[in-house]
Amino acid sequence: MNTVPQIIFPVAIPLIAAFLLPIAGRCHAGFGRIFGRAAVLVTFLASALLAWQVAGAGPASSAMGGFKAPLGIVFYADNLAMAFVLLLNIGVWLFWPSGDEDRSGPYTLLLTLLGGGAGLVLSGDLFNIFVFYEIVAVASYGLAASGGSAAGFGASLRYLLLSALGSSLALMGIALVYAAAGTLNLADLALLAPDVLRGPPGAAAFLLLLIGFGVKAELFPVNSWVPEIYASAPVRVTSLLAGIVSKLALIVILRFLVLVFPMPSAYGLLLTLGILGVLAGELAAYRARDLNSTFAWSSIAQLGVIAIAFSIPGPAGIAAGIALALHHAVVKPAFFFIADKWRGDVKLLSGGARTSPLVAALFVLLSLSIIGIPPLPGFWAKYLLLDAAFSSSPAYWLAAAVVLAGAVVEGAYLFRAAGFFYGGPQKGRGAALFMPGELVPAFVLGAVLLVAMFAIAPLGAYITSMAVQAADVPAIAAQILLGGN
Amino acid sequence: MKGYGHTAATLLFLTGLGILLIAILQALPFGLAPMQVGQAIVAAAPGDTGADNIVTAILLGYRGLDTLGEVTILFVAAAAAGMVLGGASRGGAQAENAGFILHSAAYLLFPFLLVLGAYIVLHGHLTPGGGFQGGAILAAAFFVPVLASPASPFNHRTAMLVEGFAGAAFIMIGLVSLVGSDAFLTPFFGKGEAGALFSAGSLPLLYLAIGLKVGSELAGLMARVSGAEAGA
Repeated sequence: MNTVPQIIFPVAIPLIAAFLLPIAGRCHAGFGRIFGRAAVLVTFLASALLAWQVAGAGPASSAMGGFKAPLGIVFYADNLAMAFVLLLNIGVWLFWPSGDEDRSGPYTLLLTLLGGGAGLVLSGDLFNIFVFYEIVAVASYGLAASGGSAAGFGASLRYLLLSALGSSLALMGIALVYAAAGTLNLADLALLAPDVLRGPPGAAAFLLLLIGFGVKAELFPVNSWVPEIYASAPVRVTSLLAGIVSKLALIVILRFLVLVFPMPSAYGLLLTLGILGVLAGELAAYRARDLNSTFAWSSIAQLGVIAIAFSIPGPAGIAAGIALALHHAVVKPAFFFIADKWRGDVKLLSGGARTSPLVAALFVLLSLSIIGIPPLPGFWAKYLLLDAAFSSSPAYWLAAAVVLAGAVVEGAYLFRAAGFFYGGPQKGRGAALFMPGELVPAFVLGAVLLVAMFAIAPLGAYITSMAVQAADVPAIAAQILLGGN
Repeated sequence: MKGYGHTAATLLFLTGLGILLIAILQALPFGLAPMQVGQAIVAAAPGDTGADNIVTAILLGYRGLDTLGEVTILFVAAAAAGMVLGGASRGGAQAENAGFILHSAAYLLFPFLLVLGAYIVLHGHLTPGGGFQGGAILAAAFFVPVLASPASPFNHRTAMLVEGFAGAAFIMIGLVSLVGSDAFLTPFFGKGEAGALFSAGSLPLLYLAIGLKVGSELAGLMARVSGAEAGA
C-alpha cells in the first residue's frame, strides 16, 4: 500500500505561511504580498509533485501522528482530490488581490483558505473535514468583507449567521453518525454503513450534513447569501468562492454520499435539492436586471446541475459532475470579471461591443459554452450528464428534462445581454474603454476554455478514470485502513 | 405582519427539528452507544503517548491535526476581526480609568495570573487544563491592566510576533517529526516516565505553542476591541 507523508504539504505550507505573513508584512512594506505569492507558488509545486506521484503510483494515504485508522486521522489523496487541490492553488494564484495596498489581512485569509480547502478534500475523517470546513468558512467571511464597504459588512454578517446555522446542523449530523456507528473515519464508516446507517438515523444524518455543507455548495434552501455576497465582495473573492470553494464543498458531499450514505434515500435527497436549485436559480437569473446578480443566480443553478450529476449512482454520474464542476470553475470567474466592469442595469451594456470588441467576444464565447453549444467544452460536460441520466432510472429523466429546460432559460438571458452588447446606441458605461490589465484573469480563463476544446478526448478519458477511482469504495477503504503505515 | 410570519416560521422549523431529533433518538439504542473508537483510545492512550491526561493524548496525539485546525480557526477569526476593526476610526473619548483599588489590583494580579497560566499550559499533559485554558489565563494577565486603565499601552507588535511564531512552531514541530517517522505530527523525544513533568515526548511542546498563541491572540483581539493605544 502507498504511504506518502508529503500528503500534508498542501495544508501545512500555506498555514505556516499564513501564521508568519503578518510578521513579514510588518518587516517591510510590500514584502507581505511577495511572501504570500511565494508561499502559494511553493504550495503549488509541492501539490503538483504529490499529484504526479498519485497519478503514477495510485492513491496514497498517511496516518497523521502515526496513529492508525480508525483511531487517528488519515489523509487520503486520489486523482480527484489532487485535481481540486491543484485547481484551488491555481485559483488563489490567479485571483490574488491586484492592488498594491499594504494590508496583510486579505493575504493571510487567502493562505488559510488555501490550506483549509486542501484539507477539506484530502481528509478522510468526518470531524476533521468539519474542522477544515470551518477554516474555509471563517476565511470566506473575512474575505467577503475585505472590500471595506458597509454593504459588504452587512452581507458578510448575514452570511456568517446562515453559515453558523448550517455548521451547527452539520455538527448534529456528525454526532448522529458517531452515535450510530462509533467511528468517524470515512473508510471505517464505509464498511459499517450498510449495517448501522441504513434507515432513518442515516437519512437524517445525511440531510443534516447536506444542509451544513450545502451552504458553501450553494445548494437550494441555504443559498440566500449568494446574490448579496457576490454583489458586494471584491470580484476576485467572488470568483474564488463561486468558481472553486463551492466545488470543494460539493466534492466533500460526494465523498459522504459514495462512502458513508450509498442508499437510495440519500441519492434522492441530493437529486431533489439539485432540481430545485436549477429551477430556482435559472428563473431568478432570468428575472435579474444586472449582470452580477444574473451570474450569481445562474451559479446556483449550475451547482444544482452538478448536484444532480453527483446524485446519479455509479462512476458515469461522478464523471459528469467532475466535468461540469471543472467547466464551471473556468467559465464562472471569467463572467464575474466581466460583470464587475458593467455594474448596474443590463441596458448599460448597450454598444459595448464597439468600444470593447474583445470583451464582447469573450462574453459570447463563455455564454455559448455554458449553455452547451458544441464543440465547446460545456457541451461535452452536459452531454456526459444527459448520457448518465438517461441510462439511469426514470427519476433522472425528469432531472435531465429540467436541465435542458434550464439551458433554454440560460440561453434567453445570456443572449438578451449579448444583444445589448452588439445592438443599441452607445450610451452609459458601454462607451467606456477598459484597462485591459483588469480583465487579464478573464482572458486567461477564456484561453483555457479554447485549449480545452481541442483536448476534449484526453480530458474526458482522464475525468472518467478519476471517477472510476472515486467510486471504487473497497479500494478506498483498503488504502485508508491498511495503507497508512 | 411580517414579524409574525417570521416567528411562526421559526417555531415551525424548531418544532420540526425537535420532532426529527426525538424520532431519531428513539431509533438509536439508548445508553448503548457503540463508541468503538472512544473505548479503543481510552485503552491504548497511556501506552501510546505517555501522557497522563487522556484528553491531552487525544487532543494532541490522536487528533492533533484537528487541534491545529482549531488553532487556525481562532487565528483566522482574529485576523478577520482585526482587518474589519482595523478600518474603523479611533475617534471618541478614551474611557476613564477604573478606581484606585481595581487599578492597583490589576497590576498586583499580573504576576499571579502569569504563573497560573504558565503552570496550566506546562502541566497540560499531566493534569486537566492545557494550552487553550492556560492561554486564556495568560491573555487575561495582559488584558486586565488594559481594562483597569484604558490609557495604558498594549504592545500589539509583540503580541503579533508571539502569535505568528507560536503558530509556525506548532507546524514546524509537526514537520520536524517527518524526519524520524513517516507521518506529520508524530510525537518524538520518547514517552518518558508517565507523570513526570518531562514526559509524553513532544506533546508539551505543542501545548506550549498553543498556550502562547492563544494567549497573544486573545489579548491582542480584546485590546483591539477595547481600542487600546498601540504601544511602540
